[in-house]
Amino acid sequence: MAMDGMMSTSSGLSYHNVGDFYPRKFGPKPDVVPSGVTERKVGPLDKPDMVSVDVININDSDVHMHRKKHEHDTYVLGTIHPFRKTHRSIFGKLVQEFRLVSSDRRSWRILLFGALNLLCTGCLLMWCSSTNSMALTAYTYLTIFDLFSLITCLISSWVTMKKPSQVYSFGFERLEVLAVFASTVLVQLGALFILKESVERFMEQPEVHTGRLLVGTFVALFFNLLTLLSVRNKPFSYVSEAASSSWLQEHVADLSRSLCGIIPGLSSVLLPRMNPFVLINMAGALSLCITYMLIEINNYNAVDTASAVAIALMTFGTMYPMSVYSGKVLLQTTPSHIIGQLDKLLREVSTLDGVLEVRNEHFWTVGFGSLAGSAHVRIRRDANEQLVLAHVTNRLLPLVSTLTVQIFKDDWTRPLLTGALSSSASIAPLGPAEGYAALSSSSLPPMLMSSGGELDPLTSTPAKPSSPPPEFAFDTPGRNVQPVVLPAPGHHAHRPYGGLGLPYGAPPYTGMMNQGLARPGGGLGLGVQGLGAGYGLGVSGSGVPSSQSYRTAFGGSTAPLRFGTGNPLASQSQYRQYRP
Amino acid sequence: MEEKYSSNVLSGGKLGMVEVPNSRLTRYIVLLVVTKVLKALGIFESYDILKVVHIVHFIFILKLGSAVILLFFQKPFSSGKVISKRQWIKLLKHAVFSCVISLLGFFGLTLCGPLRTLLLFEHSDVVVIALLGVLFTSSGGGPSKTRGAALFIIAVICLLLFDNDDLMAKMAEHPEGHHDSALTHFLYTAIAFLGVADHKSKVESWSSLILPFGMIIFSVMILEFYVEAVCSAKMETPRCARYGTIALFLSALLLANFWTHPLTDQLRSMSKPPQQVSTEHVLSGGVLVSAVFFIMSSSILSSPSKKGQKGTLVGYSPEGTPLYNFMGDALQHTSQSLPRFIKESLKQILEEYDSRQIFYFLCLNLAFTFVELFYGVWTNSLGLISDGFHMLFDCSALVLGLFAALMTRWKATRIFSYGYGRVEILSGFINGLFLMVIAFFVFMESVTRVLDPPNINTDMLTPVSVGGLLVNLVGICAFSHAHSHGGKSCSSHDHGHSHRHGHGGHGHSHGSGGGGMNANMRGVFLHVLADTLGSVGVIISTILIRQFGWLIADPICSLFIATLIFLSVIPLLKDACEVLLLRSPPENEKDLNSALEKIEKIEGVLSYRDPHFWRHSANMIAGTIHLQIMSDVVEQRIVQQVTAILKDAGVNNLSVQVEKEAYFQHMSGLSTGFQEVLAMTQQMETIKYLKDGTCIM
Repeated sequence: MAMDGMMSTSSGLSYHNVGDFYPRKFGPKPDVVPSGVTERKVGPLDKPDMVSVDVININDSDVHMHRKKHEHDTYVLGTIHPFRKTHRSIFGKLVQEFRLVSSDRRSWRILLFGALNLLCTGCLLMWCSSTNSMALTAYTYLTIFDLFSLITCLISSWVTMKKPSQVYSFGFERLEVLAVFASTVLVQLGALFILKESVERFMEQPEVHTGRLLVGTFVALFFNLLTLLSVRNKPFSYVSEAASSSWLQEHVADLSRSLCGIIPGLSSVLLPRMNPFVLINMAGALSLCITYMLIEINNYNAVDTASAVAIALMTFGTMYPMSVYSGKVLLQTTPSHIIGQLDKLLREVSTLDGVLEVRNEHFWTVGFGSLAGSAHVRIRRDANEQLVLAHVTNRLLPLVSTLTVQIFKDDWTRPLLTGALSSSASIAPLGPAEGYAALSSSSLPPMLMSSGGELDPLTSTPAKPSSPPPEFAFDTPGRNVQPVVLPAPGHHAHRPYGGLGLPYGAPPYTGMMNQGLARPGGGLGLGVQGLGAGYGLGVSGSGVPSSQSYRTAFGGSTAPLRFGTGNPLASQSQYRQYRP
Repeated sequence: MEEKYSSNVLSGGKLGMVEVPNSRLTRYIVLLVVTKVLKALGIFESYDILKVVHIVHFIFILKLGSAVILLFFQKPFSSGKVISKRQWIKLLKHAVFSCVISLLGFFGLTLCGPLRTLLLFEHSDVVVIALLGVLFTSSGGGPSKTRGAALFIIAVICLLLFDNDDLMAKMAEHPEGHHDSALTHFLYTAIAFLGVADHKSKVESWSSLILPFGMIIFSVMILEFYVEAVCSAKMETPRCARYGTIALFLSALLLANFWTHPLTDQLRSMSKPPQQVSTEHVLSGGVLVSAVFFIMSSSILSSPSKKGQKGTLVGYSPEGTPLYNFMGDALQHTSQSLPRFIKESLKQILEEYDSRQIFYFLCLNLAFTFVELFYGVWTNSLGLISDGFHMLFDCSALVLGLFAALMTRWKATRIFSYGYGRVEILSGFINGLFLMVIAFFVFMESVTRVLDPPNINTDMLTPVSVGGLLVNLVGICAFSHAHSHGGKSCSSHDHGHSHRHGHGGHGHSHGSGGGGMNANMRGVFLHVLADTLGSVGVIISTILIRQFGWLIADPICSLFIATLIFLSVIPLLKDACEVLLLRSPPENEKDLNSALEKIEKIEGVLSYRDPHFWRHSANMIAGTIHLQIMSDVVEQRIVQQVTAILKDAGVNNLSVQVEKEAYFQHMSGLSTGFQEVLAMTQQMETIKYLKDGTCIM
């Protein structure tokens, strides 16, 4: 309820901003672009580092991903495809996919059982029409359901072979869910049909021939149990465990609990709850046996219809929880058993420093199990976006595998400081430093001041001057552009870094209090930021070893290096290189 | 003990009732059983007495006798508290009600014999309350209670249907007579109570009846009252009820078996020659089964519910005991009354165009169905009735569509974080499956009929199918109207939205909304279309059969119709599947691709990864994308630009994750698993290489 309000306001807000922003985008901006880009890209110093660091051997999947990414990019970039491949016929595609699936040995077994099942279903349908028994028909539908479940099994093995395509960007795991949903719904519709037929039969009960009734029952029971117990059906076993128990299961569990009080040995079989498919097959067979007996003894033909209704109701009861579960996955809902955990994580996230609120949180399951989600995190205007993003992602990633976090600030267009030149100069370099300062305790500023000197050697690395100047160029909104952009390229080329921050830093240092605290960090540049990062990690409680945090800090502001520092060992060795 | 645990909703297996061992209660149980046996005996005896004494006299004597004895024992006026005026009124009410109840009970005894009366009438209050709780409240107390209630109902049905008592035969012979006599009985009762007119009685000597009356008064009223009171004080009420019921029913069964036996004639205090043949109210299979069921159900229903309510664990209290949140209970309290709910949802249905259409058509369809059913019952035509049921079956699809159209407008909740819009697509999918099933059954049926064409009676078919055709034509008109207006209404809807959000996506609302009506409406429309085809097929085949006597025309028509339905459903299923599988919307594909290109060209953007776009519901396309940007660009600006570009492409629920190099550094610093960082950095690196390469060249 509160969330509704939040969501609506946020969307309204963002759209509003878009409207505001639109005209400006095509205004002065493009002039600035080329210089920024070229500046950024031509970094001859970067190159050797990257190559030298790139010692990690790439395994198969990565190559694949890389190639795919490449293809994907070129596909997106090129708008015109003069020689698009002609679509193969649907049948041809099906045959191809089928060949893909049948290449696996395991699916042979499924196919074998499918063929058996088809045979059995055909036989049963014939017997149904010969006995004229509604109950047997209802039971036959369970056999047909087994056929569906085998198809689902095939689909799930196909799904594991398929990689996400551009159109189906989440992959095909959902097909499994859809197959489960469709088969449970189809069986329920069949049960509905049985109900309707039974109502019609109640008015005029035809005679039921019991000749093949018992035979059919046992054949169907045998095949169903064989299929259920010998084919490992991953999606259905998952759903039957994850879904809430059906009324049939509940009653059986309740009965068997009292039974296990008498015979404790049975508890391993009967408790906590039985496999719903086995259960419904047994119950259906039992009711058919009763039907047979009553018809044989007393010639109560109406019992057949009654037991058909009973089987249909049991089918409903068994399938309904599963279709609800898979339907909820299809509806992109947050799974209710995750909510507690998720809430805890979101609460943690909202207590991170700089985070004001988390809104528009959407979490849902892609296939069975894997969670995807997105959230908008509103942060303080002076917080470091990347740091917060990293922390939020770090918290949520263990639970939510496909995560997108949008960080946003309220009126970021309004400059933090009022001074024309100083504001544009100070925002960008200050951002990271402040983030660290905010994360670390209040005792940091003096430390920063003192430690700046020690870390000074680091600042003489050749890589770092590349980062600040373009920020000046891009960050300046609107009318502030001109005065700042011009000096930027000049600084970039030859100016020592230590001198860079200080001239800009001086005026705001006196101007604003909280900025002033962190200002030395910005002014002193790299080393100090690094220390801040170390503190930030310490505060966040992840207990990082000092060398690693140091490494992080180091990479924190050097653009070229950080591409190579995925490997901690490599980065450390690299770091050693830079030691004078 | 009882009070302590009955208030505890969590009394699970270990915390449950502390049952007193039976050994200490043996004498009370024996007492109870003996009392119940005596009571059964008394009831049987009173059945015999009632054959000679009029019921009003009988009850008068019974009440008088028990009142005198109780007055003597209890001394209500001389001891205890003074009864206030209010209590007197209550007493009076109670007396009147108990009089009426015992009158009805003994009247029933005269009608259906002692055994059946005992089975139906003598249930303890615990059982009755549990039964009512299961039937009329949602939280009945677990599956065992539900089972008990089901058993109870089955037992009653057994007693009604399968017990071929000769009473049933009598009832069947004079269906009107009994009401009449009951009414006259009540009249007599009223008169006799006033004491104005003396009712003539068949009794010759009242003196011979004194002993039996004394016995009945003692066993049925006095002894039972005291023993029940003692037992429920010493044992728990449920257990008392369980033992009492079992004893009562078993002794009733035994007595019913032996009552007419010559041996028991000596036992009988009233040695009268039986007026009727002894086959009256004998045991039958039905009554045995129902007695067994009654015993089982009353033992289940009277057992204390072991399971507590369903609660979700929310945490632990400082003392370490688990805390639960009872969602179900809370929901029950907040739910409004049924009429109010119906009124509200009706209002909601009539608000929107789609649901209003479905609702009106559903009403029309239902009206037609009930006319058909009624007429079928009246003329005793089975074909009409079964066709009516078929129509009801079809109506279920409409109900589903209506419900989905209603649900679509529900507010987003924590679980349905995007809102309920997707329900519509799911309902369309289910409706599609429904049609497939129907087509399959029609196909199967017609295949068997092609092989063996049955003789069809075409008399009734034509008017019914013409009526159905007319109704369905109305439906088609209504829904195709919706079809043609679908684009317009949808775009106007979007217009309203865009008013609220500024004017981002106005230009595109037509493109996305004009694709046709939503899946739900399409499903409903196809359903109506299939029905219409069915009616047309029936009319054509009827004409063919009448004119040319081609019996095979009917199955061929159905084959044709089944194929048509099947073919028409496939596109609906395909579209719904695509949406459910989170395919990126095909109608926006071009826009999205060009938008992605544009995003790559934004200054400062290095690359993007994981672009996911999918249609969530009819008017929502959601998307997520990760962007890598240069470290010197303001993230918020990029976010806004990207949002604007994608909004133009139709995406109206977007999350953009903007990553700079610093992010990857932080992530590696936060040590989120070595492999992940590795993958991430490598990805970043490859992009970098590419970009650099192009830039240098």
